Amino acid sequence: MSTVTTYRPAALAELRDALVDSARAGERLAIAGGGSAAAWGGAPRYDAVLDTTAMSGLIAYNPTDMTVAVQAGMPFAALQETLAGNGQWVALDPARAGTVGGLVATADAGPVRHAFGTSRDCVIGVTVVLADGTVARSGGHVIKNVAGYDLAKVFHGSLGTLGVLAEVVLRLHPRPAATATLAVPCDAAAAFDLGGRLVHGSLEPVAVEWCDGTLLARFDGTAGGVEDRGRRAMALAGAGAEWLPGDDHRAGARWSAVADLVRGADGDTVVRLGAAPDRAPSLAALVDREARAHAVDAALTSSPFAGAHTVRLRGATAAAHAAVVIALRTEFPATTVCRWADGLHDELPAWGEPPPAVAVLRAVKRAFDPDDRLGSGRFAPWF
Amino acid sequence: MVLTPGGSGSFDAHHPPRRELLDDCVHCGFCLPSCPTYAVDGEEMDSPRGRIYLMDLAERGEIPLDRTIAGHIDSCLGCLACVTACPSGVQYDLLLEATRPQLERHVPRTRRERLVRRAIFAVFPYPARMRAAALFGVLYRRLGLRALAHRLGIVARLPAELRAAEDLLPPVPVRSLFRRPAPLVPAAGERRLRVAMLEGCAQRVLFGDVNAATARVLAAEGCEVVVPQGQRCCGALNLHAGLEDDAAARARRLIDTFEQAEADVVVVNVAGCGSSMKEYDRLLADDPAYADRAARFAASVRDVNELLAELEPRAPRHPVQAKVAYHDACHLANAQRIRTQPRDLLRAVPGIEVTDIPEADICCGSAGIYNLVQPATAEELGRRKAANIESAAPDVIATANAGCLLQVRRFLTADIPLVHPIEILDASIRGVPLEKARR
Amino acid sequence: MSWSAELAEALGRENVITDPARLRTYECDGLTGYRVQPAMVVLPRSAEQVAAAVRVCAGHGVPFVARGAGTGLSGGALPVADGIVISLQRLRRVVEVDPVNLRAVVEPGVTNLDISKAAAPYGLYYAPDPSSQQVCTIGGNVAENSGGAHCLKYGFTVNHVLAAEVVLADGTVTTLGGDSAQVPGYDLLGAFIGSEGTLGIVTKVTVRLLAKPAAVRTMVADFATVAGAGDAVTGIIAAGIVPAAVEMLDNLAIQAVAASTESVYTPDTVAALVVELDGPPDDVAEQFDEVQEICRQHGSTKIMLARDADHRALIWKGRKAAFAAVGRISPNYFVQDGVVPRGRLAEVLGRIAAMADDAGVRVANVFHAGDGNLHPLVLYSEAEGQHDRAERLSTQIAELCVELGGSLSGEHGIGADKACSMPRMFGEDDLATMLRLRTAFDPDGLCNPGKVFPTPRLCGERPGPYRPHPLEEAGVIERL
Repeated sequence: MSTVTTYRPAALAELRDALVDSARAGERLAIAGGGSAAAWGGAPRYDAVLDTTAMSGLIAYNPTDMTVAVQAGMPFAALQETLAGNGQWVALDPARAGTVGGLVATADAGPVRHAFGTSRDCVIGVTVVLADGTVARSGGHVIKNVAGYDLAKVFHGSLGTLGVLAEVVLRLHPRPAATATLAVPCDAAAAFDLGGRLVHGSLEPVAVEWCDGTLLARFDGTAGGVEDRGRRAMALAGAGAEWLPGDDHRAGARWSAVADLVRGADGDTVVRLGAAPDRAPSLAALVDREARAHAVDAALTSSPFAGAHTVRLRGATAAAHAAVVIALRTEFPATTVCRWADGLHDELPAWGEPPPAVAVLRAVKRAFDPDDRLGSGRFAPWF
Repeated sequence: MVLTPGGSGSFDAHHPPRRELLDDCVHCGFCLPSCPTYAVDGEEMDSPRGRIYLMDLAERGEIPLDRTIAGHIDSCLGCLACVTACPSGVQYDLLLEATRPQLERHVPRTRRERLVRRAIFAVFPYPARMRAAALFGVLYRRLGLRALAHRLGIVARLPAELRAAEDLLPPVPVRSLFRRPAPLVPAAGERRLRVAMLEGCAQRVLFGDVNAATARVLAAEGCEVVVPQGQRCCGALNLHAGLEDDAAARARRLIDTFEQAEADVVVVNVAGCGSSMKEYDRLLADDPAYADRAARFAASVRDVNELLAELEPRAPRHPVQAKVAYHDACHLANAQRIRTQPRDLLRAVPGIEVTDIPEADICCGSAGIYNLVQPATAEELGRRKAANIESAAPDVIATANAGCLLQVRRFLTADIPLVHPIEILDASIRGVPLEKARR
Repeated sequence: MSWSAELAEALGRENVITDPARLRTYECDGLTGYRVQPAMVVLPRSAEQVAAAVRVCAGHGVPFVARGAGTGLSGGALPVADGIVISLQRLRRVVEVDPVNLRAVVEPGVTNLDISKAAAPYGLYYAPDPSSQQVCTIGGNVAENSGGAHCLKYGFTVNHVLAAEVVLADGTVTTLGGDSAQVPGYDLLGAFIGSEGTLGIVTKVTVRLLAKPAAVRTMVADFATVAGAGDAVTGIIAAGIVPAAVEMLDNLAIQAVAASTESVYTPDTVAALVVELDGPPDDVAEQFDEVQEICRQHGSTKIMLARDADHRALIWKGRKAAFAAVGRISPNYFVQDGVVPRGRLAEVLGRIAAMADDAGVRVANVFHAGDGNLHPLVLYSEAEGQHDRAERLSTQIAELCVELGGSLSGEHGIGADKACSMPRMFGEDDLATMLRLRTAFDPDGLCNPGKVFPTPRLCGERPGPYRPHPLEEAGVIERL
């Protein structure tokens, strides 16, 4: 087996050269950041790897403007650490320890997506390098900006198939003065109901997550404000509810459980899917039913109001996993397989029913990467 | 197209829309949602911004005065909601009043339009003819002719304009067709003001009860009410239709009649009449014999709601239990900017709850003779208004304009009494139930 | 059959306009400096009719421009002479309000404010609130990615739209986005929003609704200097407070507002900040006190707190009508829209004042201070021959924003107005890459051509008698 070439540029110019060189060599590239999402979607066919992790520098950070520009290979956790020193953060809490560019390319997010959305809602500018070496910039360094097309959006969820993210500018939020978590053991239907009352009651949780039998709601704000909302949330939640102030180990452990579930472990299958909020209970029921039918150990974590859900399948055979995923896809076509159990690729096409605008997806791919050099096969069988 | 020497573009020299007024419009579009015709069909030319654009083009001589522009100016209800909505202070009312006579002079109307308009202007401004028409209407109903005409499909075959007229006739008792207030109603208690009251044309025939109630309420509040005898039409219908000369002639005559009453204030209970009487100064500004008198007269005109709001209440109010939907007449709310006074007067009556109506600022489609000359649009607006009013589920609907009363009644599907707000005050002051007060 | 006959047949004669005088009322939007009479206007009554009209255009290579309320300030709905305008003003249905799923489905001609009105009975509202919200339509908001006074905290149209049914340039109908943000593949919806009508026509929009905040507090803080007000904004943000809105008006703008409506602003203050906080009551109360303290520390001369909802409405009414109200104090004016990094607010305002002095015209400032989005209003008199100077100044201000690390436009869009300035902000490769996206959606360039991207024809010439373009005079561009 021939060794695979690896490009590891450390600067924008080197990245451009890497793409030009690989184009000349006719190589297909797999773009890799931290590697935590290497398995998402289909398995790409590639002749060389483009590793972005050497592009990990901070380009510009002016806390007054509440924006930061970084090279896309910067580990997201390192960025958050830098920002924390100024009482700021990027309002994203993904489970994976990936790079900033990887977050954008995977359209990832964590429980605070309930209030802050996904990486698409934090990115205000990008510099990308296309397969032919074209370096293009869109957006900028200001939060509010409608000049030109927002290329960051098409790269959002692109899984390394359109070009390479070189630089990313993000908008920041202040870290809250206080935070607390409401934890209520309940089933999915009760969780959706209680979550709805928290939302409609204008208690403004920043996260509402139902994870494996417990509703978790996080509240950020001033010390007095969080305390007041705690009282009201506890009253709504009734018996059995716990109020966990601060970010300490008790609350931290609850949220870590969500991240653990989303990450999965070797041998697991992890599926991310989207659904309208009121379908959360029926999704939970479906997961239960299918898991029992196929003797798979299944766990679910849901951000019901953001319509984002992650199912982790453990144990049993690849065929059993495949059966569950197919059942999920049938009901919820907006499904991405993020972790594949061994042998699952043989049982299951990478993607289910394509979205209605698949023709446009194909056209965009053709326009940006006409020779299909980047992440080839990642979106097979769609394109 | 013949350009009149000295005119502005396609307009002739006699008071064309003024350039500086046209320039006030910055094309922001804030007027669009307030415009009833735009609400109906969403066409730019049938919005205030579009109409001003057409006037502007004509003023520059870039488009002729023809049936196209005339159609879009005709379609305007003149409700002036756009004037209220405009943040730039565009005086659309002046632009419209300047444009309509120009179109009347330069764009020949079709035979049908001429006939309809001739018929309207031959009847409405003349109480006697109006009464005859109404009497016919009453008999037409009583004798079952209306039902027959509908059954035989005759009505369906009538031209739209006639069909509208047929449908607008209210069920009025014959006796009220002839009811007139006394020529002089003395003030109760100490006299605060001497007021001269306009009877109106259609008003005195179809809404004699409202006139009677107006005189009673004013008297109860210490006003000596004179009803100048021999008063004729104020010319509002002519003015709003662009028939400037006719309107001016009527204005002169009304001023002559009312000056003799030597009143402190001229009081009006029809929004459309009041708004044009307040404009007499502008209408007669070029007439040296009348300019000053018209200015004095215009300054003395008050809507009855406006006048009562200025007077500290004297007569005690008895409770009237009702949820009232108050419908803003455009010529009161937009042309005279009287919005809070009628509501406040109603709220001062114990037991009255005044409720809001969705899309309150959109015209009901009555607009002077509009519902007779533009029946299709008027019908759509009337239905919309009636549905919005009914959605508020009121016990009573109050509106201070004869045209609105007729129009809204025509499209109501529920059996909700429609009154002039003064009738509620009258009932309250007299301490009798509303339905009894109206008999 | 000619394309015009095909359109008339496909949509019905009552839904097409061909008369020249009528067509002229569609020749410009909210930006009247650019006017082009279209060959035809169509007013479809359904999404199917929109698609039918686009199919006829695609079949004959006829360019088309979608139009909402025509309130845009960058000429985004400027017609094309040989093309048609597709007015969406007859698609005005609120299809569904779904309080359980916190969303509403509306047709593109529904006004921004009407969405919130429809949601109000459920305690919900639609967050983006452009100043023209009572008239501008959601279709136009999607095209322009409209923001508004409250986007500092709540974001823009793109953050509040979940899905859109769109008619593509070939007349096919598709859906972008979905039930949630978790749609696999490229974020086509995100790219479509803010593309200024160049990627397709939206015929149905699913928007997110938010629960109304439990508490809202609003204040107006007067300042003796614009710089003082700017520093106060920086102080508020540095304190970790995210206000729902921070707006600034300078004295000229306040004068205009006072001339137009019942003004609650201090007539002679140099600058006024409107700060609004919303959210849970205790959080808001605590931070509201802090904001007042910060304003005082930065030399605020007077702080007025909104007494109640009516009083707050008056504060906002003045602010939101400010653009149009400037018509009361100046016969003509340009509305500019640019963004600078927040930290450079004081600097940019000083430079604008100096540039205005040089040009001999007045500039009123009313803007979203919280996110550095400026709206300088360049006042001038056409009659006194100040047009060209004023236009040049206006363009220079936008380009100054770019020079200071900001953007040509924060919310009004590039449209026809600023297409020629785009090379100031973006390089050739940037623009070429954006055009690749356009090609993917609209290979023949029929959909709102001449907008966003500079073209030799647009940037070299103007209709009517020859006038050198300001950029040409400035030596920035040459005639091709």
